[in-house]
Amino acid sequence: MHSLNWTSRLISRALRSSFSTLLDATTSTTTGATTTTTKGAAGKATANRSPRPRFVSVVCGFAKDNLRHKYKPGKYGEDSWFKASTDTADVMGVADGVGGWRSYGIDPGEFSSFLMRTCERLVRCTHFNPQRPVNLLAYSYCELMEQKKPILGSSTACVLILNRETSTVHTANIGDSGFIVVREGEIVHKSEEQQHYFNTPFQLSLPPPGHGPNVLSDSPESADTMSFPVQEGDVILIATDGVFDNVPEDLMLQVLRDVEGERDPVKLQMTANTLALMARTLSLNSEFLSPFALSARRNNIQARGGKPDDITVVLATVAM
Amino acid sequence: MSLLAYDGGVDDGNSSDTEPDELIDFTAMLMEQRQHGDNDGDCNDSSSWLHGDGDNKLQSQSLDNQGYCLGQYVLGVLDFSSQYGIDYSISYTAANVIGRPTKFPAYGDYPETFTMRTYGDWWQCAPSSMREIQSQNLPTLPTHDFIVVYFEKFVVPTEVAIFETFNPGGVVRIWAYNITKHWTCLWEAKSSDMIQPRTRSNYALRDSRRFAPPLKKTNVITKTLRIDFNHSQLNYYTEIDAIMLCGRTVSMRSMQQLIATASASASASAGLQRLDGGSREVTSGGPITNKLRTLKFQPSCRENYAAKLHEFINNDLSQFLIENNLEPGQQLNSSVSQTCLTDLPFEILLKILSYLDLKSLFRMGQVSRLFYDISTHPLLYGELSLKPYWQLTNSKLLCTLARRATMLRKLDLSWCGGFGEVSPTEFKKFLTQRGDNLTHLRLNSCKFLNASCIETVGIVCDNLIELSLRNCAIDPPLLNFSCLANLKNLERLDLFQTAFESELLLSMLEGNRKLKHLNLAFCGVSVNMDNVATHLGTYNTQLVSLDMWKAHFLSARGLQSLARCQHLEELDLGWCLREATLGDSLHQLLSNCPKLKKLFLSAVRGITERDLVHIATLGKNLEQLDLMGILNITHERVYDILVHCTKLQLLDLSFCDSIMDRDLDVIADWSRLFNVDIKSSRIYNAR
Repeated sequence: MHSLNWTSRLISRALRSSFSTLLDATTSTTTGATTTTTKGAAGKATANRSPRPRFVSVVCGFAKDNLRHKYKPGKYGEDSWFKASTDTADVMGVADGVGGWRSYGIDPGEFSSFLMRTCERLVRCTHFNPQRPVNLLAYSYCELMEQKKPILGSSTACVLILNRETSTVHTANIGDSGFIVVREGEIVHKSEEQQHYFNTPFQLSLPPPGHGPNVLSDSPESADTMSFPVQEGDVILIATDGVFDNVPEDLMLQVLRDVEGERDPVKLQMTANTLALMARTLSLNSEFLSPFALSARRNNIQARGGKPDDITVVLATVAM
Repeated sequence: MSLLAYDGGVDDGNSSDTEPDELIDFTAMLMEQRQHGDNDGDCNDSSSWLHGDGDNKLQSQSLDNQGYCLGQYVLGVLDFSSQYGIDYSISYTAANVIGRPTKFPAYGDYPETFTMRTYGDWWQCAPSSMREIQSQNLPTLPTHDFIVVYFEKFVVPTEVAIFETFNPGGVVRIWAYNITKHWTCLWEAKSSDMIQPRTRSNYALRDSRRFAPPLKKTNVITKTLRIDFNHSQLNYYTEIDAIMLCGRTVSMRSMQQLIATASASASASAGLQRLDGGSREVTSGGPITNKLRTLKFQPSCRENYAAKLHEFINNDLSQFLIENNLEPGQQLNSSVSQTCLTDLPFEILLKILSYLDLKSLFRMGQVSRLFYDISTHPLLYGELSLKPYWQLTNSKLLCTLARRATMLRKLDLSWCGGFGEVSPTEFKKFLTQRGDNLTHLRLNSCKFLNASCIETVGIVCDNLIELSLRNCAIDPPLLNFSCLANLKNLERLDLFQTAFESELLLSMLEGNRKLKHLNLAFCGVSVNMDNVATHLGTYNTQLVSLDMWKAHFLSARGLQSLARCQHLEELDLGWCLREATLGDSLHQLLSNCPKLKKLFLSAVRGITERDLVHIATLGKNLEQLDLMGILNITHERVYDILVHCTKLQLLDLSFCDSIMDRDLDVIADWSRLFNVDIKSSRIYNAR
């Protein structure tokens, strides 16, 4: 509960300094009448034409119980993702709903889906700061409280912003979803998994009233943030734990190495599909020693085989 | 009697008169363009409308035909009177009007739209309702809420389309802000235009609509629009997804010409069509004088004004009318009785004029000296409301009114001066001159207010009983420190959507023990509501209504303190307590405040089933109950409430997901059986 107070105060403080930023007559950011495709340097008089990078990004995934879940764009089972781009930034994110809420009668996918949809809308707002993905998560989390329809549950989240002016990527990660960046066949950046204890990741949550103290609720402040520059041809993969727990790193590297510098979205989509399918197959395999099984064994749990889970793969390459 | 028939007179407009040339040209030019507009019929045929004839010398300076048709969505929001969501959110707030429609043509209650705070006339029936000041000024369909939006390019508007995605039918007026800095009304609803009055059947499937009413043919060039809403016929909240402005662009040159023409004529005529009566003192005169001149009527009014006019009206008027062919030869003064309006005693005339709205009162003052004296009598200016004339109010008007309003008691300057027409200095002067006896002061959405204005209010108006400062949410807050600490007699304080410092509020609460109505909606994270509630429970036990919509940091403790205000009739705790557990506090409140008529508990998710039982048993006088988004409602509890709260008129059960879809039909039956208006949401599928 206190995390909600913290987030409300953060937002209020940030916005009080420039009140009604949503209403400001700013001409710099193009909210509204213009289209949303990634245009380069539209309307901005940049004297030096430094190359502006952009993402070529694709998404693929599988819901855990594929047969029961009807496909809805933006979600794979309880996982959810979003992509958005503006003049100044390209943003991608995934969120993994914590499944334990089903026993309380709450749909776990609702929280994560809402989080991602709101992030997408917030990218277009005037107060979007391309250098603070934590703020994006915080604002999105606060929006949850302003919904008439009560949304309960919890989820992990990972948001990645490419600042097109400075060619840097800023990330924020809460929980066990994550990203890796591959350059020249090597992993150059990787997110850290945040867990309280085994199989209990950090999570943003909105518990049902009365259960507040019993429920793990991490504030957006506890997100792991990283910032690093990117170069042309870098491959960035954001995925939920369904991928990282089932596909070993060297296998992932093999697949991602091939697609470095690729600009053709069709080829990129094929790779994403490969990765997702790989994760799916391995997760259903009961003999394979997956990363999940290995880490379980480290925690003194005799596990074997993959971990059936929702799989979401967001794959992007940086193009100048 | 048609002094307004100028089709006969306009050709003589260029004759040898002493008027400044710009004035005549402007009027005639408008005439020409209006004639051209009528002759063309189809206003989409833009070439002739903009071109005009080449041979008419007035049209040779007309607009070029370089314009192209343009449809644009809102670029930004300048002002709004109320919104459902809080300012830092993007759900149900005014910022959602920006850009393309996100949900249209789907129909439903979506957070990606713009919603206002009120619907129907439930707020007028509540204990906290405010009576309108000088209500005769209000038009038939008064404006309840408005939003001012701007677009990217200047156009001459041909169509304004409003995308309504939930409960359409709230729009009553569309205004456009000309580049000559005047507001023009492009469209006004008539009572027949409004959607059918709400029936008990909330379940008739409505549809989203793209509302594009027929606009008045004008040649204003605008990129700023103001949309006025009236909620009285609405069933539930109305939601707007987007606004589109279609029109023809104009070249820069013609825009500059128009500005130049307008400013020249404005200075010459000293307020053509303006509200202030000051224009009649200037020798060039207003439109009536001009028309009189074109009809070859030149009274020599140097001295003995009243007598000459009186003589003319009694003796020569009938002849004059026959000569000018305006009356079909009727003899006016033969068989008609000799008593006329001016024979009535002064006080009777005063009483008659007291029913007039302000505009008509000013017009009356232009009739004769006698009526000027009557219409400027201070007794007619005891209550003054410039809210319906927000588009005309300026510093000069305030100055004029200051001269007459010596007995001013109630003042409503809401919505005025939004674009700098009223200067803070003029307002302060007005207040210093006439403010000491003020009992009611309303300054909602007044953009000209600054810190010194508020200080003046605090110093001068210490007899204030009611102070309304809605929509003043600038940063740093306008209301700070001790500026209003001098006010000790307040009974109503309205700070809806206004930023203020909490110390000021707490000290005002301590100072005004007779406070009855308090509105602190949207005060946000800067105010700790628990403290406020404790103060209320200690110092303001006479409290009748309290609105804490979307307040923060209210907990069970605060609610318990509120229980000490035993005269409470209205309590709005919407979105306040959020997930906080209430414990026993609601039970205490309900038992201590038996007079409670209106209780809004929207989205107070911590309400348990026990609380609902208490509402049913203890809420004997409840008339309006809002339980939107409460998680644990079952239809048994709803039935309990309906049975026990016999005076219930409104029950809002939207987004109560525990009530299954099948129960909604049962609830419809109960709504008819118990005669209660029950609002519920059905799942609306996207088209």
